[in-house]
Amino acid sequence: MRRLADSLRGLVHPLAALAAGLAAGAVAVIVVGGSVGETYAEMWKGAFGSFYYLTNTLARSTPIMLIGLGVALAFRAGFFNLGAEGQLLFGALAAAVAALYLPAPPALAMIAALVAGIIAGGAWSLLAGWLDVRFRLNLLVSTLLLNYIAIYVCSYFVSFPLKDTSGSAAINQTNMIDRAVWLPKLFKGMSVHAGFVLAAAAAVLLFLVLRHTVAGYHLRMHGSNPLFALYGGVRRGRLMAWTMLASGGFAGLAGAVEVLGTQYRYIDNALTAPGYAWSGIMAALLANSHPLGTAAAALLLAALQTGGMGVERNTEVPLEIASVIQAAIILFISARFTRALLKRRKARAADGTAA
Amino acid sequence: MELLLDVSLYGSTLRMIAPILLAALGGVICARVGIFNVGLEGLMLTGAFAAITGNHLFGDVWLAVLFAVICSGLMSLILAWLTIGLNANMIVVGVALNFLASGLTTYCLSAIFHVKGSYYDPGMAGLPKWDIPLVGDIPGVGGILSGHSPLVYVAFVLAFVLQFFLFKTVKGFRLLAAGEHPEGARSLGIRIDRIRYWAVLASGVLCGLAGAQLSLGQVTQFTEGMTAGRGFIALVAVMLGQNHPLGVMLASLLFGFMDALSIRLQGYALPTQFTMALPYVMTLAAMFLFKDRAYLRQTGRID
Amino acid sequence: MLLQMEKITKLYGDVAANAGVDFTLEEGEVHALVGENGAGKTTLMRILYGEETPTSGTIRLRGKELVLRSPEDAIRAGIGMVHQHFMLFPSFTVAENIVIGREPRSGILFDRKKAAEEAARLSAEYGMPVDPHRRIADCPVGIQQRVEILKVLYQGADIIILDEPSAVLTPPEVKELLAAIRGLARRGKSFILITHKLQEVMDVSDRITVLRDGRVVATVRAADTNVDELSRLMVGRELVPLEKRPARPGDPVLEVEGLTVRGGRGKAKPLLDGVTFTVRAGEIVGVAGVSGNGQTELVEAIAGLRRIDAGRIRLCGRDVTGADARDLRRHGLAHIPEDRYRWGSAKEESVADNAAMGHTDSAKRSGFLLRGRLRRMAEAWIAGFKIKAESPAVKAGSLSGGNLQKLIAARELAHGSPLVIAAEPTRGVDIGAMEIIHAGLLKRRDEGGAILLVSSELTEILKLSDRILVLYEGRIAGEFRADEATEEAIGRLMAGVTDHAEHAVSAGRAGRSDGADLAASRG
Repeated sequence: MRRLADSLRGLVHPLAALAAGLAAGAVAVIVVGGSVGETYAEMWKGAFGSFYYLTNTLARSTPIMLIGLGVALAFRAGFFNLGAEGQLLFGALAAAVAALYLPAPPALAMIAALVAGIIAGGAWSLLAGWLDVRFRLNLLVSTLLLNYIAIYVCSYFVSFPLKDTSGSAAINQTNMIDRAVWLPKLFKGMSVHAGFVLAAAAAVLLFLVLRHTVAGYHLRMHGSNPLFALYGGVRRGRLMAWTMLASGGFAGLAGAVEVLGTQYRYIDNALTAPGYAWSGIMAALLANSHPLGTAAAALLLAALQTGGMGVERNTEVPLEIASVIQAAIILFISARFTRALLKRRKARAADGTAA
Repeated sequence: MELLLDVSLYGSTLRMIAPILLAALGGVICARVGIFNVGLEGLMLTGAFAAITGNHLFGDVWLAVLFAVICSGLMSLILAWLTIGLNANMIVVGVALNFLASGLTTYCLSAIFHVKGSYYDPGMAGLPKWDIPLVGDIPGVGGILSGHSPLVYVAFVLAFVLQFFLFKTVKGFRLLAAGEHPEGARSLGIRIDRIRYWAVLASGVLCGLAGAQLSLGQVTQFTEGMTAGRGFIALVAVMLGQNHPLGVMLASLLFGFMDALSIRLQGYALPTQFTMALPYVMTLAAMFLFKDRAYLRQTGRID
Repeated sequence: MLLQMEKITKLYGDVAANAGVDFTLEEGEVHALVGENGAGKTTLMRILYGEETPTSGTIRLRGKELVLRSPEDAIRAGIGMVHQHFMLFPSFTVAENIVIGREPRSGILFDRKKAAEEAARLSAEYGMPVDPHRRIADCPVGIQQRVEILKVLYQGADIIILDEPSAVLTPPEVKELLAAIRGLARRGKSFILITHKLQEVMDVSDRITVLRDGRVVATVRAADTNVDELSRLMVGRELVPLEKRPARPGDPVLEVEGLTVRGGRGKAKPLLDGVTFTVRAGEIVGVAGVSGNGQTELVEAIAGLRRIDAGRIRLCGRDVTGADARDLRRHGLAHIPEDRYRWGSAKEESVADNAAMGHTDSAKRSGFLLRGRLRRMAEAWIAGFKIKAESPAVKAGSLSGGNLQKLIAARELAHGSPLVIAAEPTRGVDIGAMEIIHAGLLKRRDEGGAILLVSSELTEILKLSDRILVLYEGRIAGEFRADEATEEAIGRLMAGVTDHAEHAVSAGRAGRSDGADLAASRG
C-alpha cells in the first residue's frame, strides 16, 4: 500500500511539470496569435488521433526510448554522458555498412547489423570513458565535443567512400539496404517496427538489472556517492568502462533500428535533424533516470513531436511549439520545486540537531 | 606554410575569438563563484537570435546588440533562479536551458520571420568595422589588428577589465571569497546568493554580446544552432585558462585560431568534414594539457 | 549586564534544540557553555550570531532588545564568532582574511597595503603575532585560529563566541589560546566558550553553564565547582567505566612498514613519513594525535583509497601494497571511515542499500541480489545497535548523525573481518551511540579481531586501546603500552616534544610562545 502511495507521489511532480510545460506552450501560442484550444486539439490528433498517427508516435518514440535508456543508465552511475548523438550516428552507420556488405543470409545479416550498431555506439562511448579514466578528461565536456567530431566523420564516410552514386547526387547517403534485411513492421502499412518491441523490452530489462543485480546496485551507489562506492570496493574504471559501453550501445542500437526499420539506408543529417539524441537525454532527465519512467517520457516526447507536426499541418503555429513545451517541461522538472523546498527545510533542521 | 603566413588568417582569428572569449569570460565569472555553467551555449544562441531580431525590429545595430544582451540576460536569470534559488542541479539546468534556447529560437524563427533553418536579409546592416587610426597603418600587423567589429575589441578589453575587477577591487575580492568558501563568506554576512545571481547575469550579458558578434559581426544572418558548440569550447577555454581572465584569453586565442583555420582550409583539397571537425579535435586535445581539479576531487581521484 | 538571552526556545519540527534557555554574560567575563553533543550549545550560539532565528525568546544587549536576522546584524552589534570549522579562505593571505567584509578601500579598489598594515597593527596591539602576507593554507592550525580571533577583533567585536576552539590544537597551543583569552578578557572583551573539555573550562572561565537536552541544567561559578561535578551535570548520570579485559594478542594481522605518502605538488614535507607498526589479532592499537598530522592519509592508504609512494603493507600475511579497496576487503579489511557522509554512506539511498555495501558477495545468487536477506540483515542491525530508523526503506540521510554512525559501525563489524580500521568512530555522536560503538569494537577485539583505532579524542584512545601510537607530522613519535600511558606523556608527543629533540623544537616555537607570554603579561 505504502509503495503504491510512494510511486503515486513520485508521479505528482512530473505531472505538475507537464502541466507547467503545456502552460508555457500556451503562452507561446498566444504570442504568435494562435488559438490554444485548437492548437492542443490538433496536437492530440497528430499524436493519437488515429491508429496511423498512434503508430507514427510509437515509431518516433523508438530511438528516443533506446537513447534515453542508455543515457539514464549512465546518469544513474553518475556519469554525465551527453554524447548520445555521436554514439547514435556511429551505431547507425555501422549497422548500415553491416547490412549492406555482410555476406550472410538476411536474418543473420539483420542481427549482425543490430550487433554492429551496438558495438559501434558502445565503442565511441567507451572512448570518452577511456579518456576519462586514463587521462582524466572531464566526461561531460569530452562527450559533447565527440558529438561534433562524430557528425563530421560520419558525414565524411557517407559523402565519399560509402556514397550512393547510383541515384541523385544531391543527397549524401549509402545504398539502399536489401528489403529482406529490414526490421519487420508490427502492423502492415504502419511505420512502427520491431525496434519498438526491442526498446520496450530493453526498458524492462534495464529496470530489473538496476534493481536486482549486484552490478546494478554498485552502479546506483556510485551514482549516488562515488566515494562511498569506491570505499565499498567498487572499481570506478571498470564500472565506467562497462557503463559507457552499455550506454553507448543503447544509442548505437537506436541508430541501428532507425536505419533497419525506418530509413533503410544511412542518410547524412537524417538522424541529427529530428534531434533524437537530445530528446533521449530529455527523456532520461524527465524521468530522473528511472528506466520505466524514461520509456514513458520517451512516449510523451514523441507524442509532443508528432503532435507538433499535426499542429503545423493544420494551424498557423509552427511545429517547433513542441520544442518549447519540451524544454519548459525539462526546466520545471530539473527544478524539482517541491523537493527543493522540502529539502531546504530539512537541511536546516539537520544542521541544528547535528550540532 | 604559405597558409600560415596569410595575414587574413590572423585577422579572421581575432574575429573568431571574440564569441568564444566573451562566453568564456562569462564562464570564468560563474566558475569563480562555484557554478559550472553548461548553459553558455544556449545563452549565446539566444543572444545571436535576439541580435538579428532586434536589428529587424529596431533597424539599428546598437539597439540590436542591447536587445541581445537583455534577452540572454533574462535567460540567464532563469538559470540563476533554478540553480541558486531552487537548488536544482546546475548541469541539468544548463542542459535544459540549451534545449530551451534551441527550441525557442527555432520557434521564433518560424513565428517571426516565417522561415526554417536560417534567416538572412540582404538589406540588414551588420556591426560596423572599426579601422583603428594608427594601428591600421602598421605594416603587416595593422591589417590583422584593425578593421574588426567593435565587439572584437570589447572582448579583449573586457578580459583585462575582468582581470582587474577580480583581483584589484573590493567587489571582486568578495566574489572570489564567495566562490572559495561559501560558508565562510556567508558567516561574514556576505550575501553569496546575491553575488551568484550577479555572476550568472554577467555571464548572460557576455553571452549576449558573444551571440551578437556571431550573428551580426561575422555574418549578418541567423542559422539554427549557429553557435555550433562554441559555448562548450568556451567551457574548455575556462578550464584551460585556470579561471583567470587573461589565461582564458590565451586559450581562446588558440581556439579562435583553430576556428579560423578550419574556415580558411576549406579552400584546399581536404574534405570539408575534416576541416570542420578540426576545432573540436583540437579542443579535445587541449583538454589533455590540464587537470580539472574540481572534477577529480568530486570523483575521488585527487592524490 | 552586557548580554541577556531570555527563555530562548528553538524548535525543529517537534524537536526542541533549545527549550527556554536563559544565559547571561558580563563585561570582561569568560563564560563557558558545556554539554554533550546535541545538548543545544551550538544552536544557542548560532541564534546569538544571527545564523538561526529563535522560535521564541528575547536577546538583550546592554538592556536593549536586539533582533538578529543575519550574521551581519550580529557583527554590527559587536558579536563575533569563531566557528569550530574555521571560516578562513585558504588561498587568501592572513591580512585579507582579517579584513574581509570590512576591507580598507580607495575608491572601488581593495587597498591590500592598508589591509596588511591594519593586520600588523592589530596583531601587535593584542599581542598575537601573525605574518600578514602569508597564505592561510601555509599557516599551522594554531596560527589560523589566531587569525580567526584577530578577524573578529578587527570587526570590532566585544563579545566573542568560540566554538570548540581547542579541538584541533596541540596542548601547548591550547595553553597559548587560553592565555590569550584571559588577556583579552582583562582588557574588557567578553567570551563565550563552547566546549566539552572540562579541564580547560576550569582553567579559563569565570562562570559555567551546563546544557543538557536543550535545557540549562545549572549555571555555576568556576570557583565553586569541579570537573567531576560538571561531568555529572553534563551526562545526567554516573558514567559506568567500560568493562575491559586485558588483551590477548595473537598473530600479526596488519603489518605496515615504512609507509610514505608524499604531499601534493609544491609541498616538500611528506604527509606520512616511514610509518611502521603492527596490529595483532585480539588487540586494539590506538593512533593518537592532533588531527591533521597524517591520520587521514594513514587510514586512506591502508584502506586502499590513496596512493602510496613507498613502503609495504601486509594484511593477514599477504602483501597488499597498492591493492585497491575491493581486494583489501576480500582479504580481510573492514573500515569505519572518518567522515560518514563523504565516504561512509550515500545519503540519498535507503538504509537497506547503505547497509548492503560490502555484503553483496554473501547475498547474491548468480549476479542477482538477495534483497530479502539484505533487508533482514539490516533489520537485525537496527535492533542490535538500537538504531532509530523507521524501516530499512527510509533514506540514510534522514537518520541522525549518531544513528547513521551506528549503522556504519554495525555494517563493518558484521563482516567479522580480521582487521577493522575505526577512524574517529564516535566523532560528533551522542553518549548513547558512543557506548554502543565502543562496546561493538571491544566485542570484536575479544573475538580475535585486530583493530586500528584512529582518534583525535585522547580520552577515547585511552579508554579503548591496548597499545597507543602517537602520530606527529606524519611520523610515529612514540609508542606506549596502555598501562604506562598517561595523558601528559601522550600530550607531549602530540605536540612534537620528544626528549632528545625538546630543545630544538621549543627553540623553533619560541616566536609563538613569546607571543602568548606577551598577551598574558600585557593583560
